[in-house]
Amino acid sequence: MKRGLMLLRPSFQATSFGAILSALVLVGTPCAAGTFAFVTNQNSSDLSVLDLDKRTELKRIDVPGKPAGIHVSPLLDSFYTVSPDNMTVRRFSLSSCKVQAEAVMPGGPTGVVLAQTTGQLFVSDWYNSRVFVLDAETLNWVGELETGAAPAGLAVAGDDEFLVSADRDADQVSVFSLPDLKLLHRIDVGTRPFGVAAGPDGFVHVANVGSDDVYVVDPARGVVIAIIAVGARPYGIGFAAGQAFTTDQYADTVTVYTLSDYRKIDTVDVGEYPEGIAGDPDGKMVVSTNWFSNSISLIDPISHDVLAEVPTGDGPRAFGQFLYSTVGDVQPCHVQ
Amino acid sequence: MVFRVLVFLALLGLPLVSATSSQAHGPTRQKVTVTREVAASPADVWAVVGNFQDMSWHPAVYSSTGEGGNAIDATRVLTLGAEGGSTISEVLYKFSDEKMSYSYRITEVDVEVLPVTNYSSHLTVKPGANGGSLVEWKGAFYRGFPNNDPPEHLNDEAAVKAVTGVYEAGLDALATKFSGN
Repeated sequence: MKRGLMLLRPSFQATSFGAILSALVLVGTPCAAGTFAFVTNQNSSDLSVLDLDKRTELKRIDVPGKPAGIHVSPLLDSFYTVSPDNMTVRRFSLSSCKVQAEAVMPGGPTGVVLAQTTGQLFVSDWYNSRVFVLDAETLNWVGELETGAAPAGLAVAGDDEFLVSADRDADQVSVFSLPDLKLLHRIDVGTRPFGVAAGPDGFVHVANVGSDDVYVVDPARGVVIAIIAVGARPYGIGFAAGQAFTTDQYADTVTVYTLSDYRKIDTVDVGEYPEGIAGDPDGKMVVSTNWFSNSISLIDPISHDVLAEVPTGDGPRAFGQFLYSTVGDVQPCHVQ
Repeated sequence: MVFRVLVFLALLGLPLVSATSSQAHGPTRQKVTVTREVAASPADVWAVVGNFQDMSWHPAVYSSTGEGGNAIDATRVLTLGAEGGSTISEVLYKFSDEKMSYSYRITEVDVEVLPVTNYSSHLTVKPGANGGSLVEWKGAFYRGFPNNDPPEHLNDEAAVKAVTGVYEAGLDALATKFSGN
Protein backbone atom coordinates (compact mmCIF):
# COMPACT_ATOMS: atom_id res chain seq x y z
CA MET A 1 0.00 0.00 0.00
CA LYS A 2 1.36 3.35 -0.98
CA ARG A 3 0.45 6.37 1.04
CA GLY A 4 0.86 9.87 -0.25
CA LEU A 5 3.41 12.03 1.50
CA MET A 6 0.84 14.71 2.20
CA LEU A 7 -1.36 12.14 3.92
CA LEU A 8 1.53 10.77 5.88
CA ARG A 9 2.65 14.10 7.24
CA PRO A 10 -0.29 15.06 9.45
CA SER A 11 -0.79 11.54 10.75
CA PHE A 12 2.85 11.42 11.79
CA GLN A 13 2.67 14.71 13.59
CA ALA A 14 -0.52 13.69 15.32
CA THR A 15 1.06 10.47 16.55
CA SER A 16 4.24 12.02 17.84
CA PHE A 17 2.63 15.05 19.41
CA GLY A 18 0.12 12.70 21.00
CA ALA A 19 2.94 10.65 22.46
CA ILE A 20 4.70 13.71 23.81
CA LEU A 21 1.47 15.09 25.30
CA SER A 22 0.60 11.84 27.02
CA ALA A 23 4.12 11.64 28.35
CA LEU A 24 3.78 15.12 29.81
CA VAL A 25 0.50 14.16 31.46
CA LEU A 26 2.18 11.12 33.02
CA VAL A 27 5.05 13.00 34.59
CA GLY A 28 3.30 16.27 35.35
CA THR A 29 5.50 19.35 35.05
CA PRO A 30 8.46 18.88 32.72
CA CYS A 31 11.78 18.55 34.54
CA ALA A 32 15.24 19.09 33.17
CA ALA A 33 15.65 17.32 29.87
CA GLY A 34 17.78 14.20 29.58
CA THR A 35 20.15 13.53 26.72
CA PHE A 36 20.76 10.13 25.18
CA ALA A 37 23.12 8.90 22.47
CA PHE A 38 22.09 6.20 20.00
CA VAL A 39 25.39 4.71 18.93
CA THR A 40 25.57 2.10 16.17
CA ASN A 41 28.25 -0.47 17.03
CA GLN A 42 29.27 -1.74 13.64
CA ASN A 43 31.59 -4.57 14.63
CA SER A 44 29.27 -6.06 17.28
CA SER A 45 26.10 -5.51 15.20
CA ASP A 46 24.15 -3.71 17.87
CA LEU A 47 23.26 -0.28 19.16
CA SER A 48 24.10 1.30 22.52
CA VAL A 49 21.54 3.63 24.06
CA LEU A 50 23.65 5.77 26.38
CA ASP A 51 22.33 8.04 29.14
CA LEU A 52 24.72 10.99 28.88
CA ASP A 53 23.71 12.58 32.17
CA LYS A 54 24.28 9.38 34.13
CA ARG A 55 27.16 8.44 31.80
CA THR A 56 26.03 4.85 31.53
CA GLU A 57 24.61 2.50 28.94
CA LEU A 58 20.84 2.30 29.33
CA LYS A 59 20.23 -0.48 26.83
CA ARG A 60 21.87 -2.58 24.13
CA ILE A 61 19.72 -3.38 21.08
CA ASP A 62 20.51 -6.04 18.46
CA VAL A 63 20.85 -4.57 14.98
CA PRO A 64 21.99 -7.34 12.61
CA GLY A 65 24.17 -6.57 9.58
CA LYS A 66 26.93 -4.26 10.90
CA PRO A 67 25.01 -0.98 11.34
CA ALA A 68 26.71 2.38 10.71
CA GLY A 69 24.10 4.95 9.66
CA ILE A 70 21.78 6.38 12.32
CA HIS A 71 19.16 9.11 12.49
CA VAL A 72 17.11 9.90 15.60
CA SER A 73 13.81 11.77 15.24
CA PRO A 74 11.94 12.65 18.45
CA LEU A 75 9.16 14.22 16.39
CA LEU A 76 8.40 10.91 14.66
CA ASP A 77 9.18 8.89 17.82
CA SER A 78 11.64 6.97 15.67
CA PHE A 79 15.24 6.15 15.10
CA TYR A 80 16.56 4.74 11.85
CA THR A 81 19.54 2.45 11.31
CA VAL A 82 21.34 1.32 8.17
CA SER A 83 23.25 -1.99 8.09
CA PRO A 84 25.38 -2.21 4.94
CA ASP A 85 26.34 -5.87 5.41
CA ASN A 86 22.77 -7.12 5.00
CA MET A 87 21.63 -3.97 3.19
CA THR A 88 18.85 -3.38 5.70
CA VAL A 89 17.24 -0.11 6.76
CA ARG A 90 15.18 -0.23 9.94
CA ARG A 91 12.83 2.08 11.80
CA PHE A 92 12.66 1.60 15.56
CA SER A 93 10.27 3.24 18.00
CA LEU A 94 12.06 5.57 20.41
CA SER A 95 9.52 4.72 23.12
CA SER A 96 9.89 0.95 22.89
CA CYS A 97 13.19 0.59 21.00
CA LYS A 98 11.48 -2.16 18.96
CA VAL A 99 11.57 -2.51 15.17
CA GLN A 100 8.55 -0.95 13.45
CA ALA A 101 9.56 -1.31 9.81
CA GLU A 102 12.37 -2.90 7.84
CA ALA A 103 13.46 -2.70 4.20
CA VAL A 104 16.25 -4.40 2.26
CA MET A 105 17.82 -2.09 -0.30
CA PRO A 106 19.90 -3.08 -3.32
CA GLY A 107 23.55 -1.97 -3.49
CA GLY A 108 25.37 -0.46 -0.53
CA PRO A 109 23.09 1.52 1.79
CA THR A 110 25.30 3.66 4.03
CA GLY A 111 24.20 7.08 5.29
CA VAL A 112 20.71 8.10 6.38
CA VAL A 113 18.92 11.36 7.06
CA LEU A 114 15.31 12.33 7.59
CA ALA A 115 13.38 15.41 6.46
CA GLN A 116 10.83 15.08 9.21
CA THR A 117 8.33 17.70 8.02
CA THR A 118 8.11 16.13 4.55
CA GLY A 119 8.13 12.50 5.72
CA GLN A 120 11.01 11.65 3.38
CA LEU A 121 13.83 9.40 4.52
CA PHE A 122 17.04 9.42 2.46
CA VAL A 123 19.56 6.57 2.28
CA SER A 124 22.80 6.82 0.28
CA ASP A 125 23.84 3.90 -1.95
CA TRP A 126 27.64 3.76 -1.75
CA TYR A 127 27.96 1.45 -4.75
CA ASN A 128 25.51 2.91 -7.24
CA SER A 129 25.77 6.73 -7.21
CA ARG A 130 22.29 7.32 -5.92
CA VAL A 131 20.21 8.21 -2.90
CA PHE A 132 17.07 6.24 -2.13
CA VAL A 133 13.99 8.19 -1.11
CA LEU A 134 11.82 6.20 1.30
CA ASP A 135 8.55 6.76 3.08
CA ALA A 136 9.68 7.66 6.60
CA GLU A 137 6.98 5.58 8.26
CA THR A 138 6.74 2.42 6.16
CA LEU A 139 10.21 2.54 4.51
CA ASN A 140 8.48 1.93 1.16
CA TRP A 141 10.52 3.00 -1.86
CA VAL A 142 9.35 6.38 -3.14
CA GLY A 143 12.08 7.31 -5.59
CA GLU A 144 15.79 7.79 -6.10
CA LEU A 145 18.19 10.63 -6.85
CA GLU A 146 21.33 10.49 -8.98
CA THR A 147 24.51 11.57 -7.17
CA GLY A 148 28.23 11.42 -7.93
CA ALA A 149 30.25 8.25 -7.23
CA ALA A 150 30.14 6.71 -3.74
CA PRO A 151 27.66 8.89 -1.86
CA ALA A 152 28.22 8.55 1.89
CA GLY A 153 27.12 11.23 4.37
CA LEU A 154 23.76 12.99 4.00
CA ALA A 155 22.40 16.19 5.54
CA VAL A 156 19.11 18.03 5.44
CA ALA A 157 19.57 21.81 5.64
CA GLY A 158 17.44 24.91 5.92
CA ASP A 159 13.88 24.38 7.08
CA ASP A 160 13.83 20.93 5.42
CA GLU A 161 14.57 22.76 2.15
CA PHE A 162 17.74 21.03 0.98
CA LEU A 163 19.19 17.53 0.85
CA VAL A 164 22.99 17.37 0.54
CA SER A 165 24.97 14.21 -0.28
CA ALA A 166 28.75 13.84 0.05
CA ASP A 167 29.79 12.07 -3.15
CA ARG A 168 33.07 10.66 -1.91
CA ASP A 169 34.72 9.46 -5.10
CA ALA A 170 33.50 12.44 -7.14
CA ASP A 171 35.04 15.02 -4.76
CA GLN A 172 31.75 16.90 -4.75
CA VAL A 173 28.47 17.36 -2.92
CA SER A 174 25.09 17.17 -4.63
CA VAL A 175 22.30 19.50 -3.47
CA PHE A 176 18.62 18.68 -4.06
CA SER A 177 15.56 20.76 -3.25
CA LEU A 178 12.93 19.44 -0.83
CA PRO A 179 10.28 18.23 -0.99
CA ASP A 180 10.27 18.26 -4.82
CA LEU A 181 13.64 16.45 -5.18
CA LYS A 182 15.15 18.57 -7.97
CA LEU A 183 18.91 18.72 -8.48
CA LEU A 184 20.04 22.26 -7.61
CA HIS A 185 23.84 22.11 -7.53
CA ARG A 186 26.91 19.95 -7.73
CA ILE A 187 29.59 21.71 -5.67
CA ASP A 188 33.27 20.78 -5.96
CA VAL A 189 34.80 20.28 -2.51
CA GLY A 190 38.05 18.77 -1.13
CA THR A 191 39.31 15.25 -1.72
CA ARG A 192 36.96 12.39 -0.80
CA PRO A 193 34.19 14.05 1.23
CA PHE A 194 32.56 11.53 3.59
CA GLY A 195 30.73 13.22 6.47
CA VAL A 196 28.41 16.21 6.13
CA ALA A 197 26.40 18.16 8.68
CA ALA A 198 24.04 21.12 8.56
CA GLY A 199 25.31 23.85 10.87
CA PRO A 200 23.42 26.43 12.91
CA ASP A 201 25.03 28.99 10.58
CA GLY A 202 22.65 27.79 7.85
CA PHE A 203 25.48 26.24 5.85
CA VAL A 204 26.53 22.66 5.26
CA HIS A 205 29.93 21.55 6.53
CA VAL A 206 31.71 18.87 4.50
CA ALA A 207 34.63 16.84 5.93
CA ASN A 208 37.12 15.68 3.29
CA VAL A 209 39.03 12.61 4.44
CA GLY A 210 41.58 12.88 1.62
CA SER A 211 42.56 16.53 1.95
CA ASP A 212 42.19 16.92 5.74
CA ASP A 213 39.92 19.94 5.52
CA VAL A 214 36.32 21.06 5.90
CA TYR A 215 34.46 22.93 3.18
CA VAL A 216 31.58 25.12 4.29
CA VAL A 217 29.03 25.37 1.47
CA ASP A 218 25.87 27.39 0.96
CA PRO A 219 23.22 24.92 -0.27
CA ALA A 220 20.95 27.70 -1.59
CA ARG A 221 23.53 29.38 -3.82
CA GLY A 222 25.76 26.38 -4.47
CA VAL A 223 28.98 28.12 -3.47
CA VAL A 224 31.85 27.47 -1.07
CA ILE A 225 31.88 29.89 1.86
CA ALA A 226 35.04 28.80 3.69
CA ILE A 227 37.74 26.12 3.83
CA ILE A 228 39.25 25.13 7.18
CA ALA A 229 42.33 22.90 7.58
CA VAL A 230 41.67 20.35 10.34
CA GLY A 231 43.36 17.18 11.68
CA ALA A 232 44.19 14.04 9.71
CA ARG A 233 41.28 12.20 8.07
CA PRO A 234 38.26 14.16 9.31
CA TYR A 235 35.02 12.13 9.42
CA GLY A 236 32.25 13.78 11.36
CA ILE A 237 31.22 17.33 12.28
CA GLY A 238 29.19 18.49 15.29
CA PHE A 239 28.18 21.91 16.57
CA ALA A 240 27.90 23.61 19.96
CA ALA A 241 28.39 27.05 21.50
CA GLY A 242 29.09 28.82 18.22
CA GLN A 243 31.75 26.34 17.22
CA ALA A 244 32.18 23.28 15.03
CA PHE A 245 33.97 20.10 16.12
CA THR A 246 35.45 17.58 13.66
CA THR A 247 36.63 14.06 14.42
CA ASP A 248 40.13 13.57 13.02
CA GLN A 249 40.31 9.85 12.60
CA TYR A 250 44.04 9.36 12.08
CA ALA A 251 45.04 12.00 14.63
CA ASP A 252 42.77 10.71 17.44
CA THR A 253 41.70 14.31 17.99
CA VAL A 254 38.75 16.65 17.66
CA THR A 255 39.49 19.94 15.91
CA VAL A 256 37.50 22.99 17.02
CA TYR A 257 36.78 25.95 14.74
CA THR A 258 34.58 29.01 15.11
CA LEU A 259 31.36 29.54 13.17
CA SER A 260 31.77 33.32 13.24
CA ASP A 261 34.96 33.48 11.19
CA TYR A 262 35.77 29.82 10.41
CA ARG A 263 39.04 29.87 12.29
CA LYS A 264 40.63 26.81 13.88
CA ILE A 265 41.02 27.48 17.60
CA ASP A 266 41.80 24.20 19.37
CA THR A 267 42.60 20.51 19.19
CA VAL A 268 41.25 18.05 21.77
CA ASP A 269 42.65 14.54 22.39
CA VAL A 270 39.91 11.89 22.36
CA GLY A 271 39.81 8.09 21.95
CA GLU A 272 41.17 6.24 18.94
CA TYR A 273 39.66 6.56 15.45
CA PRO A 274 36.93 9.01 16.39
CA GLU A 275 33.93 8.98 14.01
CA GLY A 276 30.41 10.26 14.65
CA ILE A 277 30.23 13.52 16.62
CA ALA A 278 27.42 15.83 17.71
CA GLY A 279 26.67 18.64 20.12
CA ASP A 280 23.64 18.21 22.37
CA PRO A 281 20.85 20.74 21.77
CA ASP A 282 21.37 22.45 25.14
CA GLY A 283 25.01 23.13 24.37
CA LYS A 284 26.12 21.18 27.47
CA MET A 285 28.44 18.77 25.74
CA VAL A 286 29.87 17.47 22.53
CA VAL A 287 29.92 13.71 22.05
CA SER A 288 32.50 11.93 19.89
CA THR A 289 32.37 8.19 19.25
CA ASN A 290 35.72 6.41 19.27
CA TRP A 291 35.62 3.48 16.85
CA PHE A 292 38.79 1.70 17.93
CA SER A 293 38.51 2.47 21.66
CA ASN A 294 34.87 1.29 21.92
CA SER A 295 33.82 4.40 23.79
CA ILE A 296 32.37 7.87 23.51
CA SER A 297 34.17 10.97 24.77
CA LEU A 298 32.10 13.76 26.35
CA ILE A 299 33.68 17.16 25.68
CA ASP A 300 32.87 20.46 27.38
CA PRO A 301 32.12 22.82 24.47
CA ILE A 302 33.44 25.88 26.34
CA SER A 303 36.60 24.63 28.08
CA HIS A 304 37.21 21.83 25.54
CA ASP A 305 38.07 19.48 28.41
CA VAL A 306 37.13 15.82 28.07
CA LEU A 307 34.60 15.33 30.89
CA ALA A 308 34.18 11.57 30.67
CA GLU A 309 34.61 8.50 28.52
CA VAL A 310 31.72 6.01 28.45
CA PRO A 311 32.06 2.43 27.07
CA THR A 312 30.00 1.26 24.06
CA GLY A 313 29.77 -1.94 22.04
CA ASP A 314 32.46 -2.93 19.53
CA GLY A 315 33.25 -0.45 16.75
CA PRO A 316 30.96 2.53 17.46
CA ARG A 317 30.24 4.56 14.31
CA ALA A 318 27.19 6.78 15.03
CA PHE A 319 27.29 7.92 11.42
CA GLY A 320 24.48 10.49 11.37
CA GLN A 321 22.26 12.40 13.78
CA PHE A 322 22.54 10.24 16.92
CA LEU A 323 21.63 12.43 19.93
CA TYR A 324 18.19 12.58 21.52
CA SER A 325 17.10 15.11 24.12
CA THR A 326 13.93 14.16 25.95
CA VAL A 327 11.18 16.22 27.46
CA GLY A 328 10.80 15.85 31.21
CA ASP A 329 11.61 12.46 32.71
CA VAL A 330 10.75 10.50 29.60
CA GLN A 331 13.32 7.86 28.78
CA PRO A 332 13.75 6.03 25.49
CA CYS A 333 12.88 2.32 25.42
CA HIS A 334 10.45 2.70 28.37
CA VAL A 335 7.44 1.08 26.67
CA GLN A 336 7.45 -2.71 27.01
CA MET B 1 48.37 -10.22 -9.91
CA VAL B 2 46.90 -6.75 -10.18
CA PHE B 3 45.99 -7.56 -13.74
CA ARG B 4 44.09 -10.62 -12.63
CA VAL B 5 42.01 -8.62 -10.15
CA LEU B 6 41.26 -5.97 -12.74
CA VAL B 7 40.16 -8.59 -15.23
CA PHE B 8 38.02 -10.17 -12.55
CA LEU B 9 36.28 -6.86 -11.84
CA ALA B 10 35.85 -6.20 -15.53
CA LEU B 11 34.22 -9.60 -15.98
CA LEU B 12 31.77 -8.75 -13.24
CA GLY B 13 30.98 -5.48 -14.95
CA LEU B 14 32.15 -3.52 -11.94
CA PRO B 15 33.86 -0.15 -12.19
CA LEU B 16 37.63 -0.54 -12.52
CA VAL B 17 38.28 2.51 -10.35
CA SER B 18 37.23 0.44 -7.35
CA ALA B 19 40.44 -1.57 -7.53
CA THR B 20 42.69 1.18 -6.19
CA SER B 21 43.02 1.55 -2.46
CA SER B 22 42.14 5.23 -2.29
CA GLN B 23 38.74 4.70 -3.88
CA ALA B 24 35.55 3.04 -2.65
CA HIS B 25 36.02 0.36 -0.03
CA GLY B 26 33.99 -2.41 1.57
CA PRO B 27 31.09 -1.60 3.84
CA THR B 28 32.58 -2.45 7.23
CA ARG B 29 35.96 -1.43 8.59
CA GLN B 30 37.69 -4.25 10.42
CA LYS B 31 40.01 -4.07 13.42
CA VAL B 32 42.65 -6.33 14.85
CA THR B 33 44.60 -6.01 18.11
CA VAL B 34 47.40 -8.44 19.00
CA THR B 35 49.44 -8.09 22.21
CA ARG B 36 52.41 -10.05 23.53
CA GLU B 37 54.30 -10.03 26.81
CA VAL B 38 58.00 -9.61 26.10
CA ALA B 39 60.65 -10.37 28.74
CA ALA B 40 62.64 -7.15 28.41
CA SER B 41 62.24 -3.56 29.53
CA PRO B 42 60.12 -1.25 27.34
CA ALA B 43 63.26 0.75 26.51
CA ASP B 44 65.07 -2.36 25.29
CA VAL B 45 62.11 -3.50 23.19
CA TRP B 46 61.57 0.00 21.76
CA ALA B 47 65.27 0.05 20.79
CA VAL B 48 64.49 -2.91 18.50
CA VAL B 49 61.06 -2.00 17.09
CA GLY B 50 61.08 1.80 17.44
CA ASN B 51 62.68 2.60 14.11
CA PHE B 52 60.30 2.97 11.18
CA GLN B 53 63.16 2.26 8.79
CA ASP B 54 64.13 -1.08 10.34
CA MET B 55 61.59 -3.89 10.27
CA SER B 56 64.22 -6.65 10.42
CA TRP B 57 62.69 -7.96 13.66
CA HIS B 58 59.74 -9.30 11.63
CA PRO B 59 60.43 -12.73 10.09
CA ALA B 60 58.35 -12.03 6.95
CA VAL B 61 60.30 -8.88 6.06
CA TYR B 62 63.35 -9.43 3.86
CA SER B 63 64.41 -5.80 3.53
CA SER B 64 63.23 -2.25 4.03
CA THR B 65 64.18 0.86 2.09
CA GLY B 66 62.82 4.29 2.82
CA GLU B 67 63.21 8.01 3.24
CA GLY B 68 62.66 10.48 6.04
CA GLY B 69 63.81 8.42 9.04
CA ASN B 70 61.20 8.64 11.80
CA ALA B 71 59.80 12.01 10.76
CA ILE B 72 56.10 12.39 9.93
CA ASP B 73 55.49 11.45 6.28
CA ALA B 74 58.59 9.25 6.19
CA THR B 75 58.15 6.36 3.77
CA ARG B 76 59.34 2.77 3.57
CA VAL B 77 58.99 -0.07 1.10
CA LEU B 78 59.05 -3.51 2.70
CA THR B 79 60.17 -6.42 0.58
CA LEU B 80 58.69 -9.69 1.81
CA GLY B 81 60.26 -13.14 1.89
CA ALA B 82 63.29 -12.87 -0.36
CA GLU B 83 65.03 -10.56 -2.77
CA GLY B 84 62.60 -9.59 -5.49
CA GLY B 85 59.64 -10.57 -3.30
CA SER B 86 56.31 -8.77 -3.02
CA THR B 87 56.39 -5.27 -1.60
CA ILE B 88 54.29 -3.12 0.71
CA SER B 89 54.67 0.69 0.60
CA GLU B 90 53.94 2.55 3.82
CA VAL B 91 53.99 6.07 5.23
CA LEU B 92 54.53 7.18 8.84
CA TYR B 93 51.92 9.53 10.28
CA LYS B 94 52.64 9.53 14.02
CA PHE B 95 55.85 8.84 15.92
CA SER B 96 56.67 9.30 19.61
CA ASP B 97 59.79 8.05 21.40
CA GLU B 98 58.23 9.28 24.62
CA LYS B 99 55.05 7.22 24.18
CA MET B 100 57.02 4.43 22.47
CA SER B 101 54.48 4.33 19.68
CA TYR B 102 54.27 4.89 15.96
CA SER B 103 51.42 4.87 13.44
CA TYR B 104 51.59 4.21 9.72
CA ARG B 105 49.42 3.61 6.70
CA ILE B 106 49.82 1.37 3.69
CA THR B 107 49.96 3.49 0.56
CA GLU B 108 50.30 0.62 -1.87
CA VAL B 109 49.89 -3.13 -1.66
CA ASP B 110 48.53 -5.76 -4.00
CA VAL B 111 45.42 -7.31 -2.41
CA GLU B 112 46.82 -10.69 -3.45
CA VAL B 113 49.74 -10.02 -1.07
CA LEU B 114 47.75 -8.57 1.84
CA PRO B 115 43.98 -8.62 1.20
CA VAL B 116 43.19 -5.19 2.68
CA THR B 117 42.53 -1.61 1.61
CA ASN B 118 42.62 1.67 3.53
CA TYR B 119 44.94 0.07 6.08
CA SER B 120 46.34 1.98 9.07
CA SER B 121 48.23 0.62 12.05
CA HIS B 122 49.74 1.48 15.45
CA LEU B 123 52.67 -0.26 17.15
CA THR B 124 53.11 0.53 20.86
CA VAL B 125 55.41 -0.71 23.64
CA LYS B 126 53.96 -0.44 27.16
CA PRO B 127 55.23 -1.48 30.59
CA GLY B 128 54.36 -5.12 31.33
CA ALA B 129 54.52 -7.42 34.35
CA ASN B 130 57.75 -7.91 36.33
CA GLY B 131 59.69 -5.18 34.56
CA GLY B 132 58.86 -6.63 31.15
CA SER B 133 56.94 -5.13 28.25
CA LEU B 134 53.57 -5.46 26.65
CA VAL B 135 53.79 -4.90 22.92
CA GLU B 136 50.55 -3.98 21.20
CA TRP B 137 49.97 -3.95 17.45
CA LYS B 138 46.65 -2.61 16.17
CA GLY B 139 45.29 -2.36 12.67
CA ALA B 140 42.22 -0.82 11.02
CA PHE B 141 41.36 -1.69 7.44
CA TYR B 142 38.74 -2.71 4.92
CA ARG B 143 38.66 -6.04 3.10
CA GLY B 144 40.47 -6.44 -0.22
CA PHE B 145 37.32 -6.54 -2.32
CA PRO B 146 35.46 -3.24 -2.28
CA ASN B 147 32.04 -4.32 -3.55
CA ASN B 148 29.29 -6.67 -2.41
CA ASP B 149 29.70 -10.46 -2.64
CA PRO B 150 33.49 -10.64 -2.25
CA PRO B 151 35.35 -13.79 -3.31
CA GLU B 152 36.37 -15.84 -0.29
CA HIS B 153 40.04 -14.81 -0.32
CA LEU B 154 39.13 -11.09 -0.34
CA ASN B 155 36.31 -11.01 2.24
CA ASP B 156 36.24 -9.55 5.76
CA GLU B 157 37.32 -12.81 7.38
CA ALA B 158 40.29 -13.20 5.01
CA ALA B 159 41.43 -9.65 5.75
CA VAL B 160 41.25 -10.14 9.53
CA LYS B 161 43.00 -13.50 9.30
CA ALA B 162 45.84 -12.13 7.17
CA VAL B 163 46.51 -9.11 9.37
CA THR B 164 46.27 -11.20 12.55
CA GLY B 165 48.81 -13.60 11.06
CA VAL B 166 51.25 -10.80 10.25
CA TYR B 167 51.00 -9.34 13.77
CA GLU B 168 51.28 -12.70 15.53
CA ALA B 169 54.33 -13.73 13.49
CA GLY B 170 56.06 -10.43 14.25
CA LEU B 171 55.28 -10.33 17.96
CA ASP B 172 56.04 -14.02 18.47
CA ALA B 173 59.46 -13.47 16.89
CA LEU B 174 60.00 -10.48 19.17
CA ALA B 175 59.02 -12.48 22.27
CA THR B 176 61.37 -15.27 21.23
CA LYS B 177 64.23 -12.83 20.60
CA PHE B 178 64.08 -11.64 24.22
CA SER B 179 63.09 -14.91 25.86
CA GLY B 180 66.67 -15.87 26.75
CA ASN B 181 67.27 -12.69 28.78
